[in-house]
Parts: sequence; C-alpha cells; structure tokens
Amino acid sequence: MTTRNILAGLLLAAVFVTGRSVIAHHAFGAEFDPNAPIRLQGKVVRLEWVNPHTWIHIETVKDGKPEIWMVEGGTPNTLLRRGITRDTVAVGTEVIVDGYQTKDHSLKRANGRDVTFADGRKLFMGSSGTGAPRDGSDPIEGGTKPAPKKPGGK
Amino acid sequence: MRNILVGLAIASVAATSLAAQAPKTIAKPAALRTSDGKPDLQGVWTNATITPLERPQNIKDLVLTEEAAARMEKAVTDRRDRLNEPSDPNRTAPPQGGDGSTGAAGNVGGYNNFWLDPGERVAIVDGQRRSSLIIDPPDGRIPALTQEARTRQQARAKLAMGRGQYDHPEYRPLAERCLLSFGPTTPLVPNYFYNNNLQIVQTPDHVMILMEMVHDARVVRIGGTHLPKHIRPWMGDSIGHWEGDTLVVDTTNFPPQQNFRGASENLHVVERFRRADDKTINYRFTVDDPTTFTAPFTGEIPFRAMEELIYEYACHEGNYALGNVLSGARNEEKRLGSKQ
Amino acid sequence: MAAFRPVHTTRILRDIFIAFATAAVVATGFWMTSPVESQAARPARIAGKPNLNGIWQALNTANYDILSHQAKAALAFRPGPVVPVPAAPVLAFGAVGAVPAGNGIVEGDEIPYLPEAAKKQKENQANWLDRDPEIKCYLPGVPRANYMPMPFQILHSDKAVFIAYEYAGAVRNILLKDPGPAPVDSWMGQSVGAWEGDTFVVTVTGFNDQSWFDRAGNHHSDKLKVVERYTPQGPDHLWYEATIEDPTTFSKPWKMRFPLYRHINPDARLNQFKCVEFVEELMYGKLRKQPVQ
Repeated sequence: MTTRNILAGLLLAAVFVTGRSVIAHHAFGAEFDPNAPIRLQGKVVRLEWVNPHTWIHIETVKDGKPEIWMVEGGTPNTLLRRGITRDTVAVGTEVIVDGYQTKDHSLKRANGRDVTFADGRKLFMGSSGTGAPRDGSDPIEGGTKPAPKKPGGK
Repeated sequence: MRNILVGLAIASVAATSLAAQAPKTIAKPAALRTSDGKPDLQGVWTNATITPLERPQNIKDLVLTEEAAARMEKAVTDRRDRLNEPSDPNRTAPPQGGDGSTGAAGNVGGYNNFWLDPGERVAIVDGQRRSSLIIDPPDGRIPALTQEARTRQQARAKLAMGRGQYDHPEYRPLAERCLLSFGPTTPLVPNYFYNNNLQIVQTPDHVMILMEMVHDARVVRIGGTHLPKHIRPWMGDSIGHWEGDTLVVDTTNFPPQQNFRGASENLHVVERFRRADDKTINYRFTVDDPTTFTAPFTGEIPFRAMEELIYEYACHEGNYALGNVLSGARNEEKRLGSKQ
Repeated sequence: MAAFRPVHTTRILRDIFIAFATAAVVATGFWMTSPVESQAARPARIAGKPNLNGIWQALNTANYDILSHQAKAALAFRPGPVVPVPAAPVLAFGAVGAVPAGNGIVEGDEIPYLPEAAKKQKENQANWLDRDPEIKCYLPGVPRANYMPMPFQILHSDKAVFIAYEYAGAVRNILLKDPGPAPVDSWMGQSVGAWEGDTFVVTVTGFNDQSWFDRAGNHHSDKLKVVERYTPQGPDHLWYEATIEDPTTFSKPWKMRFPLYRHINPDARLNQFKCVEFVEELMYGKLRKQPVQ
C-alpha cells in the first residue's frame, strides 16, 4: 500500500463524496470551450470580489485596439482569510492569463486557468489551509494569520 | 403527540446502539457551558479535512497509523507547494481541444490551486486518525441501495438521457443555480473544495447553524415538532433536544431535489454535537432512509475552532456562471448547428 | 375491601389516569398553548442585557417607499390616454399589484440627496422593473432587510447576536469585537455591535452600492454607513432607529425610525423564502433551449 495509492484513493473518494458529479458542481467544462484557448497579457482594470467566482477584468490590446476581458477565478472568501483584501492587487497591475474562452463566443470571458504576474509568479499564493489540528504539529497553530499581502505586483 | 414520542424513541434506540462505541467523556471546565448549564457549542468552526466520506477501496481499517496519515498530508502539501511555484511568463495559450484535465477542471484546467482551501489534515476523532468519515457500516462505505432506489435512479437516468443538460436552468446542479452549496448541507459533510466553515449560535430554545455557503442558516427549534409533511423547505426541517451533554438534532421534510446519494423524500438525518475539548466539537451523523439504503450509515467529523471570520457568500448576486453556461450552450448550438 | 377491585373498574381508572397524564404533559413543557405562558417563560435579560431573542417584524409599508406616500395603482407605469396606467408587465395583478399608503419612516419625511443622487432616484423609480434588486431576489441590504414584509429572527446568546431573515435567507452576524475595516464590499455589510445601556447599537459599513432602501428607487453608494439602535420597549417591542450617512449621495446624515413587533404566537417560527429559484424564468427564461411561449 504505497503512499501514492492511498493518496489517489483519498482524492478519488473525495471526487465522488457527495454522489453528484464534481464536474457538475464546478461547471468549468459546461462554461468554457476547450476548442477556444486564449492567452491574455494586460493590465487589471477591475477586480470583482464576488461569489461564487471572482472576476478579474483585464485590458489587453488586440490589433492595436484595447479589449476588456473578464477572467474567472474562485471564491474570494478563502483569500480574505489569508489577509488578501480588495486592495492587494492594484488597478494597473500587469498580468498574464492562459485559459479558454466561454462557449458563448460573443463574450470576452475566459477561465483563469493560470493567472500570474508578468514575471510568472502566481497572482496569489495558496498557504496552509484551515483544518489544522491543534495538537502542536502545525506551524500555524494558535490562529496566527499570515501577514497581509502588500499591494502591487512587483 | 404519539408520533413525536415514537419518533424520538426510534431516534434514541438508533443512537444508543452506537453509544457503546462512544469514548469516555472529557471533563469540561465551567467556561465551556452556557448560562443555562448546557455545553457551549458556539463559535466559528471548520470541518475541512482530507479524509473522504467513504473509505477508499484499498484501505481496510478506520484508523490510520501516524506514518500513513503523515504521508497523505505531506502529499497534499507537496502538491500545494508545487502548484505555488512560478509559471513560465513566456507560456503560450493552452492546447487546442483542451488540456486533458479531468474531474472538476473539466478539460479546460479549471483555475489556479490558490483559490482552493480543502483542508490539509486527516480527520482526528478521539485521538484516532480516520481513513473515512463513515464509521458504520464497519467497512466505511455507504450501504447498498434498495431495489426501489435503484429503479428510481434508473428512471431518473433515463429521463436525463432524453434531454440536454443545458436546456433549462432547472436541469443544472443546485450549486450552479446558487440554490444551495455543493454537498448535502445536512449532514454537515465538508465539500473538499473551500469555505468549509460554519458558525453556531445557541440559545435555550434555538440553535442556529450557519454554513458559509450559501449563507444558509439552519435554525434548530429545541423541543419543537416537525412541520407538516407537505412543507419541505431547503435543508429540511430540524428540531433538537439535549441528551445529557449531547445536542441531538433530527431533520426530516427534505425537498425531493435534495436527494443525498440517491435518497428519497423519506430521508432522515440525526446529528449529534458533543463538545470534545475547548477547540473541538465531535460531530456524528446518521443517515437513514429505508426506501433508499439497505441500512442506515453513520459518520463522524471533527469540527475545529477557527479564529477567522466567515464572510458573506452572496452567490446568486454574482452568478455570471449560470448565464454563461446557458448562453454558451445556445451560442454553440447556433455555431455548430447541432445539439451539444 | 380495598384489596378487591373488579377488573373493568381498574381499566377505567387506568384510562382516566392516562387521560389526565396526557393532558398534563400537553399543557406543560414545550406544548404551551397561550402567548401568556410563552411570554412568562421568556427570560427578561441575557447576560445582563435586555433579551432580543424572538421573531420580529415591522408593520409598515416602508418597503414600498420610506417616505410618506398615498396609495397608487401600481409600482410601474406607462402613459395612458388620460392618466398614467400600470405598465404592461404588472397590469394583470390588478389591485394586488397596487401600492398601499404609508406614513413614512424618515425623520423629517425628506431625504437630503445631493443633486445628482436625487436625479438618480427619479430614474430608478421610473425604471423600477429593470433596476430594483428586490425583483431579482438580491440580498436586501441594511436597513431594508428590517422592514421587508417578512419576519426575521434575532438569536441573542451570551456570546453572539445573529439575525436570520426570512427574505432570501439573508443573514447578519453582528460582530461583538471590531475587526477593523471590511476587507471586501458585501450586500449586507459588516455589522459591529455594542451595548449602550439597554440599547444595542450596531455600526454597519463595507456595503456595496447595489442595494436599495425601498421600491421607490432610494439608493446609496459604497460609502454608506448605517448606525442602528435597537431599544426594547417591554418584552414584545423594539424601537428601531437607523442613521444613514453617505457623503457621496446625501448632503448630511438622516434617520429612519419605526417599531419592531415580536411574534407572540407560541408556535411562531421563521419560514423559508429562498426566492432565487422563483426568479429563474425571469432571469434565464430567454436562454432556455425553447423559451416558454
């Protein structure tokens, strides 16, 4: 019984935990078109910190003309608990996005498959999640929050 | 009144059969009690864990060794760290035809891992590292469906086959419609994605359980009686009573669309909340529906005290996704000229 | 003689005993039958403060218009040959869709709008069908949630004050410790509460600019700050005041005030009005594979 098998088993089990297809929950495959890949590079003009998905509005340039694209992210609530606020990513920050356009090609919207700063660093970092046991084994035990992220993209 | 007493009696018998497995009670300091002398369940809690609801096929025992649990947890954090690393700034668009990602990512790569917060620890209940949340049946898996349930499922599947899953908003999953969250809401099983947080407020005659998603407040009437059978609110109807230091919550009257793992309108969930220590609630749930499952099943989940806040999850108000899904299907039908 | 009793008398005595016992149980405990009994069982104070627990509801028509208003034919109009007539989408409601009169809940019966904001209110009202967030079952914001035509439940313990609204399942956890500025805007805002004597004072900030104050187009920006005061007037009444501040919308702060009444029916409970599914045809009907004709 290798670690990998156990982990694979756990993850597989988690996928079917509620009996409803996880694909159905998240609807990425329902919303975005695998035949319409995109790469965007441009400046953040607006961050919509809403549920169920954050939307990052980016101004790109296509054929010399500005275009505004909306890029879908995840729930902002997890980021808020890591000290990230609405001001963390300043308007004007340069980002690179690769993903797929919505099936509705009349919309300039895409999933944020990978959203990074211009130098490749992830836009936000995933840190230790909630759920750590209070038994001394977890370095963030005691409820200390990570320091709030500084705004800006440099 | 007789039905209430009978119902309570059945619930008690079901509960006591498992009470034999209950561990010794830990002495609780006075600070952990409310002014009316009951254990204080209040606060903000998380039920996030990497332990799945059902035991994976290749694990026999409920209890994991410390080493096995540590290996699992390390695999999860290693993956997280790997996915935190910078990407290539010169990367191109992803592959035409999809990037091959499966499951939730839907062949379009979903979104960055930093949005997720599924938990990074196995569930620890009474000092035991658990391989599954389900403890009964002993194999840690949901019992087989009854013949009646299988027939029902086949009929449902047949109905679904004959229609497009994007034809109408009513065909979309409850979570995509922002009616409820992923997962059953009752019982309080984690969703393995994010926002696995809940708040409990307790008064002598009501206990309120707020799930972060979708700002769903379940108000349990202590000493109440169930609603008439034809009234079936989302999340069902919860009444509660205290058995010593355990809060017992009985929920029925689920609407038909909340068919947890195939359950019928007879779905009945009994939950037991017991304060284990100053940082933990031991939560135990039993699901029974004799018209669906060949036996009831019981699970245990530790709720851990959380110092952070629950934030507003206004789902419907920001729900671009449902519109995108439906307009996407219509747009595709026009473009490709056929039903996708 | 006492030792001997005919069998059927014993049975009668047993039945009488059971009847009495049942009646006794039914009459006590949680099967209270009258408001007087349930009021008597309700503690006057929680952790030294007036008990806010209960199911509360406003009894006014402020949700139609927070200013004083007379009855009118509909919520939306179009030009008619003599007088404006109900707009087509609401015509079929007839008198059910009419607007009842109201005394208004605003102190001074006037909202001190800045000029641009006053214009916007008129436009909102003229375009009510397209713009009122209530129509789409969006969260009502504060203080509108407190005068929706549906009750809300306050859960008040020694550790927490929480409000669960029937309308759209809106919720407010009143934080008893100030966490600092809200890190994100929300529909219901961030509520921080503290007691001033027997008045519970709640300061609400961190609003988005999306909610309205009523169905008459009264609006605000994301700079809105609301200070609420809940002052019990006996066990079944709260006197509610809300001071509204929003320097980009109003030239000065202004105040709403009205009573909140407690449901004294011992069986009172919050019902459910999760209206999101009720508006799916309205919002997504055109995107169906075959729209409803």
